[in-house]
Amino acid sequence: MDTDDPDFFSRLARGDGNTFEDLLRNAPRDDDGNPAQPRDVPFYVEEEPETPLQQLIRRWVNERHSPDVLPTEEDLLSRLLDHIRSQSETVQLLRSDPSSSEEEHFRIMFVQTEVERVKFIVRSYLRTRLFKIEKHARYIMTNPDVQQRLSQSEVDHARRFARLTDQHFYNTVLQSLPESQQTLDDRILFVPSMITEPDKTRAVFVRARQNCPPVRLPDGTALEMQKGHISLTPYWVVEELVARGEVELV
Amino acid sequence: MTDTRQFGDLATQLILESRRSTLADTLLKYNDNLVRSVIREQRDLEKLTEGAEEVSPALLIYQTAIIRNKRCLLAYHKHRMDRLRDMYWAAGGALPHILSSQDIRSKLSPHEVDFLRQYSSSVMDYRAEFSNELDITASITHPPKDLHVLVRVVRDCGVIQTELGSIDFQKGQRFMVRRADIEHLIVQGYLEEV
Repeated sequence: MDTDDPDFFSRLARGDGNTFEDLLRNAPRDDDGNPAQPRDVPFYVEEEPETPLQQLIRRWVNERHSPDVLPTEEDLLSRLLDHIRSQSETVQLLRSDPSSSEEEHFRIMFVQTEVERVKFIVRSYLRTRLFKIEKHARYIMTNPDVQQRLSQSEVDHARRFARLTDQHFYNTVLQSLPESQQTLDDRILFVPSMITEPDKTRAVFVRARQNCPPVRLPDGTALEMQKGHISLTPYWVVEELVARGEVELV
Repeated sequence: MTDTRQFGDLATQLILESRRSTLADTLLKYNDNLVRSVIREQRDLEKLTEGAEEVSPALLIYQTAIIRNKRCLLAYHKHRMDRLRDMYWAAGGALPHILSSQDIRSKLSPHEVDFLRQYSSSVMDYRAEFSNELDITASITHPPKDLHVLVRVVRDCGVIQTELGSIDFQKGQRFMVRRADIEHLIVQGYLEEV
């Protein structure tokens, strides 16, 4: 195989042409070092559509910061997973080919490393969701609206987990108590509810990805965010905007 | 120290134990005796409230104590469940690894072992969905920086299949291996990064 061939990496990728090299090239720069520089500088033109990886990274960051489970991204996820699989297969093929040169092996290493990094993000994204799903399992099972936001396997896991915790409470505590005390859904004045709900009043930092319609703040005034504007608000204020992708959590 | 005791003292001890467990970041032994004592107190309280004709101040006190004790009992068990789940994920979902440890096993109640087993099977069902591409139980604490990692074998763990062929890991040896192949062994404490 000709290593100087500029199409080398595009041949590695099947599908929509988003090779990992492209992803690498388009990945947002790590700007931890110079916080003084605003993100919406004039030369930063966001004309190009986001790559699937960038979309996933944004969703991952949103998910990590939001107190509530966000809608599942099954299409995006399955596209990325397919891509990971096909890349891994191609890498396997090239590695086992004795005619691939030293330099090719060097490039393969890059692809492999990138695959591992993408896997890490996918894993962290799924685990973040799972953590929140387990925390609010009983709330989710009583609330069909929230179930809409989960994938089928996540709903299944929430159901199993809710049943499992109920069962455990029953076995260890409730079955030994007098019958009148065996309920798990007491609603008593001045005592927190037995069903944990997401705390939507939690403060989050949001950055507007575009000019947003005004939202109502708790004190009654309206907040209209221009593109690039960063604000600290309770989560419920911007819940809709996050769902529509007009803002991102930071 | 006097031997006068209020309703709810025992339940407070339970909560204190949970707090201590959090602060010390360790799982304490399941306190079966204390749990039983609180449950006994609940039954006694229930008897006191039975047969009451009208709402008296005393009844209100009993009722409050009942509600409080019950929440404390549930909170104690919930806290332990959370710790067990943390432990499960920290071990990379390796349930046999957790249950074979005498030290941990002695701290669990039989119900908690059941809980872990069922929890594990639910997570495994969920994991199967992605098994072609990745292992969701692998570590998420540090993003991978390198493909390969230099490890020292801390405990013998037998022959493991890696991309370099099968390697017999014996205590004291060092290997340069692909991280993805042996990640779970690091998590379970067989290997150590150098």
